[in-house]
Amino acid sequence: MSHRLVIKGCLRRARFTLDLDLDVDLTEPLGIMGATGAGKTTLLRVIAGLERDFSGLVQFCGEVWHDGDHSDRVPTHQRGLGVVFQDGRLLPGRTVESNLAFARQRARNMDAAVTYETLTEALDLNHLLTEPAEVLSGGERQRVALARALLARPRLLLLDEPFAANDAEHRQQLTAHLAEWLPAAGIPLVCVSHAAHELAQLTRQLIVLERGAVSAQGETHLLLAAQREAINNAAQAVTAVVMSTDSEHNTATLQLDQDAVGAVVSGKRVLLQPDPEDSGLGAALQPQPEENQH
Amino acid sequence: MSGDLQAVWLTALLAATTTLLLVPLASPLAWWLARSTSSSRSVIEAVVAMPLVLPPTVLGFYLLIMLNPESAVGSLWIELTGDSLTFSFSGLVIASIIYSLPFMVQPLQAGFRAVPESVLEAAATLGASPRDRWLNVVLPMAKRGYLTGCVLTFAHTVGEFGVVLMMGGNIPGETRVLSIAIYEHVETLNYDAAHLLALGLLGFSFLSLWLVYRFAGHRFEVVRG
Repeated sequence: MSHRLVIKGCLRRARFTLDLDLDVDLTEPLGIMGATGAGKTTLLRVIAGLERDFSGLVQFCGEVWHDGDHSDRVPTHQRGLGVVFQDGRLLPGRTVESNLAFARQRARNMDAAVTYETLTEALDLNHLLTEPAEVLSGGERQRVALARALLARPRLLLLDEPFAANDAEHRQQLTAHLAEWLPAAGIPLVCVSHAAHELAQLTRQLIVLERGAVSAQGETHLLLAAQREAINNAAQAVTAVVMSTDSEHNTATLQLDQDAVGAVVSGKRVLLQPDPEDSGLGAALQPQPEENQH
Repeated sequence: MSGDLQAVWLTALLAATTTLLLVPLASPLAWWLARSTSSSRSVIEAVVAMPLVLPPTVLGFYLLIMLNPESAVGSLWIELTGDSLTFSFSGLVIASIIYSLPFMVQPLQAGFRAVPESVLEAAATLGASPRDRWLNVVLPMAKRGYLTGCVLTFAHTVGEFGVVLMMGGNIPGETRVLSIAIYEHVETLNYDAAHLLALGLLGFSFLSLWLVYRFAGHRFEVVRG
């Protein structure tokens, strides 16, 4: 079954204008990357129907959810979503159990992707069930929010940095659980994250947002590989101050303000070798052979 | 029933009726005031708060002008019910609703402001309709506002004097509430009766405010299960 998501239109914000022309099949889970303020969360809010000022079309599985021109829209509560916000957004004044019950009582009438018992066990929530939402840590809130979203039996799961407040161990477990549960239940996923390894594990396609517009779109592993290469290339250009030169040995000593594997001086690519007798700030500069330079 | 007991009963009936009617009337107004970003909000807020600073006699005077049998509203009321709004219990209820409006609206407004939009959004994504969100998210979170509003409105209505005197006069069984009865006892130098009623009101006022501070000032129990 196709899970086509179409978003065409724009939304003006103080720092950027979200300007989208997206047509993706969510049969393959979708990741969204981008710098802070690029519009990732706003995009999820548009899909969820929480941005009333969005002007354009939002369509999922052939169903028009928002049509800025004809005001023909499906309200948020009828979209069958599961949303995990960055801050969890648990209902205050309720226990964890009551928050989960709120989702279960309003769940769509379909088979559960994961049972209540499995969820509370796997997300490490059993010892928190009677705790008020207010006393939970950020990571615990996110885990409850994830359980709550899944208990709603969503037809589309939207995750916004869902594990960011959790420790590394929990993040790894949560990612693994989702990577197992979602494909098995056939729940389409749109996941915003800064963590490349999470996106690599959870998604198959990726879009990169830059100042409200899609700057790259493609398969997750290809885009992440390209991003890694770009980061490596960028890391090879660092700023350094030449402290002294030795014309006899054709070397120079540089003062660095960060770790680096190379530097460009006067258009030449060089290797930096840390001086073992130095505190780490100094390094001996060796020009590389011409064929390695670029 | 003796005159004073009748006054106690009438006062309680007036306060309860006013409070019960103000809950549904003030809720949408307080919600709008809590959430609206309209420029007219401050104007409406000022109008709602006016009974707090206006001398009750001024309010009573204008209500008398607006609701007397010769006025449009007053004559329509007589046509519909056959009863006059001035010097009647019905007129006192309307006057009390206006006079006590800020005592209900302001606590509710504060209660509604404490419900973050983000929580309502989360509830919507979980499938809660607007009515469902109101009943199961907003009301539980705003219940301290409701308790405070109800207690203050009831207590304030019990203590009404100026507006009642202007609008209702002193008709036993119809408009002679406690504050009017005390005034009458003092006028006739019946200090013992005045003391008894005044002391009763003093105790009641203290109890009302203690209730507000004791229960509305603390967190309610969290919803379990």
